[in-house]
Amino acid sequence: MNGWILAATLTLAAGLTASLWGVATGPLRRRVVAQNLATAVACPGLLLLAQGYDRPSYVDLALVLALLGPVGTLVFARLLAGELAEDPPRARGVTWAAAGLGAVVVLALCAVTGPGRATAKLLVTGALLIGGNLVASRALTGGAGGTGRA
Amino acid sequence: MDDAVIAVALVLVAACATVAVATRDPARQALVLSVLGVVLAVLFTVLQAPDVGLSQLAVGSALTPLLLLLTVRKVRRRGQREESGR
Amino acid sequence: MSPRTRLWLVAVGGAGVAALLVAACLGLPAFGGDHHPYGDRAVEASLAHRTANTIASVNFDQRAFDTLGELTILFAAVLGCVALLRQTRDEHRARPEPAEVAPPVRRYALLVLPVALLTGLYVIAHGQLSPGGGFQGGVAAATALHLLYLGADYRALERVRPVGLYEVGDGVAVCAYLVTGIAALLGGAAFLANTLLPHGTFNTLSSGGTVPLLNAAVGMEVACAVVVLLARFLDQAVEIEEESGT
Repeated sequence: MNGWILAATLTLAAGLTASLWGVATGPLRRRVVAQNLATAVACPGLLLLAQGYDRPSYVDLALVLALLGPVGTLVFARLLAGELAEDPPRARGVTWAAAGLGAVVVLALCAVTGPGRATAKLLVTGALLIGGNLVASRALTGGAGGTGRA
Repeated sequence: MDDAVIAVALVLVAACATVAVATRDPARQALVLSVLGVVLAVLFTVLQAPDVGLSQLAVGSALTPLLLLLTVRKVRRRGQREESGR
Repeated sequence: MSPRTRLWLVAVGGAGVAALLVAACLGLPAFGGDHHPYGDRAVEASLAHRTANTIASVNFDQRAFDTLGELTILFAAVLGCVALLRQTRDEHRARPEPAEVAPPVRRYALLVLPVALLTGLYVIAHGQLSPGGGFQGGVAAATALHLLYLGADYRALERVRPVGLYEVGDGVAVCAYLVTGIAALLGGAAFLANTLLPHGTFNTLSSGGTVPLLNAAVGMEVACAVVVLLARFLDQAVEIEEESGT
């Protein structure tokens, strides 16, 4: 029993319940945002679990999720572009909240890990996660130049 | 504490899988399936099976949605073609 | 069959399956617990061959023959897809229109593509040390390649993806797995037995004897298979059109 697992439980329970609710109900624009939120919440959750179980190799899961999760959202943004253009999603608040959560978790874990290769891996995971989610969210909401010309 | 996180993951998987079955539209179902993949990966991790969790993440997060949505696009395009051809 | 009969049939079948599952669950050992006869033996065997990740040892050493079966299933499934989704005589290829992608998405795709490829290779190479292995890394690397489709368009992906080469790679990887097995046979041991190579130092990249070799073969097979599979799906969804309508 430790605080990391407690934090992971709370993050995953709250975040994944919210994204499950979002993905199950409402118009398509809400569902795609909720799908993106699931990645953004589960990745910090997996990092906290790796720390809680004291198994550094579990960080690989978070790394793969941080890489492929936003790719999945880009798939939806690309192939559902027609439907999303009619009714574009708005996700500014959720996106920044999720990015903030990712940043806080990564920085806290870096603080306890201390300098070294493990910290570098954590920072790469965090950068991929936050960057990926911001870009994926931007692709969903139409981005700057996407909707005008398509 | 370890049991609490397992319970949370199990309940989430059960709820998500039920929603995936209850959703009718394939595009929306692909969205639910993608979330289900993430939730399943969390369940496998808390059950100390990270190898399986990694497989689930690799397949479920991008590959399955891509295959499903490409199929939906092909089927819809064929439908439109037949309608316009009549 | 009327809907009512069908419903009854489903109800009876479902009830039967449910009863069997409940009966099976009641016969299971309790959740958790510290008595794991199979686990203890698997860990012992994996440590004897200096493989840090017991799962990799089970997959590619103790039960390498089962993995050959799984490899064959994937190979056959992809072969079936290729046969089913080929271009038929009444279909023609249309040039897909270039897609407009927002600049940040394009930059993200080009930046993440090499990182994701590298991560895939990392997961394959560390299969015998940490969670992951050929399958997981292969899928990640193959998915990474399709960032070109998401970040640019289908023509950009086609330029860097000669499908024929990937089809050859798929076959070569399956052959490599078989050849490694037969080599053990020629060396005087059982098919796929882990006796060919020195087992190396525990917890280093070269440890585990033939485990890294088989792992790499599986990684190559899976990556090539996913690329070929997605190529057929993308062809059908983006390029191939039926002529009957026009």
